[in-house]
Amino acid sequence: MQGSKVAITGVAETPMVRSSPHSLLKLETDACFAAIEDAGLQVRDIDGIVCNRNTHSADEIGFALGLERRPFTAVTDTVGGTAPAGQALVLAQLAIEAGLARHVLVPYAFQATRPGGPYGFHSREPLKADLEMPVGYFGQASYFAMMANRYAHEHGLTEEELAAVSITYRRWAMLNPAAQKREPLDLDAYRQSPMISTPLRVADCCLMTDAGAAYIVSAVDRARDMPHPVVTVAGVGMDTNRWPQSVVFTQKPDILDYPARQSAADAYAMAGVAAKDLDLAQIYDGFSISALLQTEMLGLCGTGEGGRFYLDGHGLPGGRLPINTSGGHLAGGYLPGITLLVEGVRQLRGARGEGQVKDARLCAVTGLGGNSHSTTILARD
Amino acid sequence: MGIPIHPPRFESDLLKPFYDGLAAGELRLTFSTTTGEPVWYPPEIVPGDPAAKLEWRKVSPVGTVYSFTTITRSLLPGDHKAEVPFTVVLFCSDDAPHARVPGLFVGEGPAACGMRVRLSPVQAGDHIVAGFAPVE
Repeated sequence: MQGSKVAITGVAETPMVRSSPHSLLKLETDACFAAIEDAGLQVRDIDGIVCNRNTHSADEIGFALGLERRPFTAVTDTVGGTAPAGQALVLAQLAIEAGLARHVLVPYAFQATRPGGPYGFHSREPLKADLEMPVGYFGQASYFAMMANRYAHEHGLTEEELAAVSITYRRWAMLNPAAQKREPLDLDAYRQSPMISTPLRVADCCLMTDAGAAYIVSAVDRARDMPHPVVTVAGVGMDTNRWPQSVVFTQKPDILDYPARQSAADAYAMAGVAAKDLDLAQIYDGFSISALLQTEMLGLCGTGEGGRFYLDGHGLPGGRLPINTSGGHLAGGYLPGITLLVEGVRQLRGARGEGQVKDARLCAVTGLGGNSHSTTILARD
Repeated sequence: MGIPIHPPRFESDLLKPFYDGLAAGELRLTFSTTTGEPVWYPPEIVPGDPAAKLEWRKVSPVGTVYSFTTITRSLLPGDHKAEVPFTVVLFCSDDAPHARVPGLFVGEGPAACGMRVRLSPVQAGDHIVAGFAPVE
């Protein structure tokens, strides 16, 4: 697979809200209709769907859209942000290059308020139910808190450094009218944020969001005749480790080691660029600590230097490498991975208004999900 | 410090030897009969070795804290507000340093990565869970 053969030609999202009265299907299809319109297409132009195993099948989405034919269908099997921000792009490009589809729709929706809550899938793991839940070790905040304390042990991490991640993304959210959390966050406000699992506070955790989003992938040649400036998928890399969900947070030899270094290396190689060439990045921030780790793994700073990177303001508006310019998942809204990709496209179109990064031409977008990781390099054509 | 009350679900007898061990004051983990190495948590199939069986062995109750966190807002299903705070550690026995056992931190003062601790099972309601106390 080669870089810059496909482009993201339509993007959309529904409002990021804490609790929506709409169903998951309604959120997902509303986003689909809006993305199709954004691409200047009609529903009948969509001939491929890459759906997410955690939402609706292509049958359900196709029926809701009124789609008569659907020659290409695929389902992502990774979790979290990897599926919509990386794996779906790989599948869409394969379909387009094989001539199976011209315009591939990638929908996604998420309801943090659904029955069972966002941690329900963990409680269905028998080993977690028998070994972890009886000692109260349950939920992502606790899993990632373990990582934060281990990171502090190995590299050192002050409260100010960890807080700087959340403060950076909040500063960007304040420039995004669509962000879910826009009130100012300084160190004092951060310290007022309730502790959940030391050292992680509410402000270190992704938001609870109900929303839908979607995007359209088209061949670059077709994209040049479509409404928006062309934003290509210059590179995409995906990697996994061998540890499934039941043990990835406890038994992986190094719990700080996401498969991000390889996914980034593959994406950079495919795009023919290096970390130093990036103008901005959207980094999957389920938690402040996981974003800090990926910042290092993408080569945006050295290992053990993530805290200092954020504390020195490099990711802030006006910084040398703006990061999570929509507010990310900590402040913009938590619709895993896909909203980071949508933000990257809007930045490269030059359509982000007050939050626009000047002369943005190259943007990395990452996705993390359990034992998988993706890095995507978006480029202005 | 509080104690979370959430009994094991025990959909099968797989973990029964672990809890029997705690009741006897022992830490028991699963090992591959082929390699003799710890395989933990016990999987349905030993990775890459379908012929291997798992056997439970008693391991040293003394070891090291790999990492820890003090939970002040429990995310367990149900209402657990009265049970916080408590500290969870990932424990590595000296006999199986790469097999991590989640347990409650027992004792005063903060936990720390690298801290030397010893098995100290905790009564949590009507069941026993893994606990680890600092080595004097």
